[in-house]
Amino acid sequence: MIEKMAKVEILGLKDIALDAIDVIHDLGTLHIEDLTERIGSMDTKRVSRMEMDPKFAEHEGTLNNLRAKVGDMIRELQPKVDEMAPEDVATEYKGIWSDNVEVMISRIQTMLQEVERDTRDTVERKSDLLVELSRLEKYAPIMGKVQPLADRVAKMTDMASIALIIERKYKAILNYLNEEISKITEGECEIISSDVDDESTAALIVFNRRYLKQVHEFLAVQDVNQVRLPSDLSKKPIDEAVGEVRARIAQIPSEIDEIDSRLVGVTDKYSVKLIAARNAIHDRLEAMDAVPKFGQTDQVFIISGWLPEPDVDPMEKALTDKFGNKVVMTVVDIREEHEAEDTPVALHNNPFTRYFEILYLLSKYPRYGTVDPTIVFAFFFPILFGMMVGDIGYGLIIMVLGWVVHRKFIDKPLINMAGFVMTIGGAWTIFFGAIYLEFFGNWITRWLGLLNADGDLDKYLLGSKNSIFKYPLDRIEGFTFMLAVCLIIGWVHMGVGLVIGIINGRRENNLKHSMEKGGLFAVLTGAMMIIAKFGMAWWPAWLAYLGALLVVAGIVLAGMGAGFGGAIEGIVGMGNLFSYARLIAIGLASVIMANVANQILLKPPMSGFGGIVVGILMFILLQTLNIVIGVFSPSIHSLRLHLVESFGKFFEPASVRYEPFKKTGGEE
Amino acid sequence: MIALSAAIAIGLSAIATALAQSRIGAAMAGAIAERPELVGSAIILVAIPETMVILGFVVAFLITALKTVTK
Repeated sequence: MIEKMAKVEILGLKDIALDAIDVIHDLGTLHIEDLTERIGSMDTKRVSRMEMDPKFAEHEGTLNNLRAKVGDMIRELQPKVDEMAPEDVATEYKGIWSDNVEVMISRIQTMLQEVERDTRDTVERKSDLLVELSRLEKYAPIMGKVQPLADRVAKMTDMASIALIIERKYKAILNYLNEEISKITEGECEIISSDVDDESTAALIVFNRRYLKQVHEFLAVQDVNQVRLPSDLSKKPIDEAVGEVRARIAQIPSEIDEIDSRLVGVTDKYSVKLIAARNAIHDRLEAMDAVPKFGQTDQVFIISGWLPEPDVDPMEKALTDKFGNKVVMTVVDIREEHEAEDTPVALHNNPFTRYFEILYLLSKYPRYGTVDPTIVFAFFFPILFGMMVGDIGYGLIIMVLGWVVHRKFIDKPLINMAGFVMTIGGAWTIFFGAIYLEFFGNWITRWLGLLNADGDLDKYLLGSKNSIFKYPLDRIEGFTFMLAVCLIIGWVHMGVGLVIGIINGRRENNLKHSMEKGGLFAVLTGAMMIIAKFGMAWWPAWLAYLGALLVVAGIVLAGMGAGFGGAIEGIVGMGNLFSYARLIAIGLASVIMANVANQILLKPPMSGFGGIVVGILMFILLQTLNIVIGVFSPSIHSLRLHLVESFGKFFEPASVRYEPFKKTGGEE
Repeated sequence: MIALSAAIAIGLSAIATALAQSRIGAAMAGAIAERPELVGSAIILVAIPETMVILGFVVAFLITALKTVTK
């Protein structure tokens, strides 16, 4: 259900405005209304937007710098936030937080100086080592390729060599270089090349030392990437340099490990403090950002916003206790059940239904004053899902998986909610699986000997082939019966949506809205009464005629309520009923696939041991695929039936969600 | 003839769904790149044309059921 909200205005003496903001921030229940627009539209100039004094703005800049620094520290030290005890962070937070911003800034700066003192050398050294390692790892393969070539050159004292690294796609440039350097050296030149990896090629240009300067000048003009060793290695013979590079590559990781172990100690010492500082800075800046949303006169500050009704008294008490009659809170208007575009919406559902608020990831909240359909979703979504999948085996797997996900991800609300919804969906899958008597397809009916030689259901535990109601309910043989059941479910599901639409119309004192929804419901009901005549011979003809009358009357009523669009909607609504055919169609595709998997296992395509192996593999593959499809496809279609067919009949989205001004505990 | 009718019923509706989904899917992929929060709406919008193939499947199944009845 939608929480009842109260609109409040808080007025107080301007010199205690920041203290009052701190109290409101601490309580964390007020949804702030930005007064900018209201103030702009006022005739009087006595009320203006609240402005921060220049000193306050200076603090904001300092806090932003500190936030960047703390963020850098956290990135460098990588504290394990998940393993921290929230109470430790809260204690440090209290130690850092102060109503006086200057004091708070000073505390954070002192702490940062300590961290910097303990980490500066180690962090810089680690950074240097990582850069060195990365550079040497780049050199190593190139030098490895060049070394055998260079060894040969080294024996020729009058010859010089230059190593190049070239992208493989530009390898053809070597021919051009060979021609040009041959001209410079009068033919005393040779280029030897070897591919380093998929992307680069190493080349060694060997030429008479007399032309060293000219060749260097030529290569500089050509912008060719020469391999230049680090300065300490460049004067050494290449084989010696290669040895040293390899030794450094082997040595650096252990040096980094040593630094890391030292950093672990520093991380342990400061991680909680850093996270607490980050949270405190975040909350302080958020409080500062809120200031321009408030109003002021020469003497008074004005804060306007929304509170959930149960939070009105605690807010009033907190303000009175702290400021006495210097701050006054007025409840402007308790909004109950009427239209309110700008009222923020908060949902308050019971613990079971709350998991189904996952729906609002795909949709906005319902508008304030309308009915919250979460309970409709919580009831119908798993039923429609279970009806589509409908298999005891699949249901058990879905339920267990859902429960494991739900329990394992307690701290990740979204996954936790999805796991719970999956668990309930799995339970309904088992229920419908029992009705269809399906266990990974037709295993139960096979074991009970209810199938004929072709694998079709031939005998029933209750009733016979010609009975209307029989058990088990075979989805393949009983397709038309199930189609009728789907239409009835569609009528109920859409009907619930339309009834909610009628209630919404009444709450908003909008008779035309209720008339439109009532008309649509009459059209749906009439259509069902007509369809029944086609499906059941015993259905009285007068009921079908009455249905036709209801359809016509419904279209007229919908037209009176919402004009031409309403009448069209009435006709389209009948089409929406047939959309529920997907409940049987998707399930049918699933059961046929499961039966095919079973058939392949029992009658493999090959004889002998190979056939058994292929049969088992195909069975596992198809059943797994069927379960995966069985989770995704019915979920999406069940969602679609809610959001398009049912909720589309009544749902009015909220423009504002309730987002209280509170200390968030920092940014994640 | 009955089998051909059933094949046409599901075949054409499947092609129509595929064409619609390919266009919606491409458009939604672009939209999600700009606004990732639209992913939920994208799933629903991509699923909307599936009604065609589902109804095609139902009709095809009813046609084949008709074959069984008329045997």
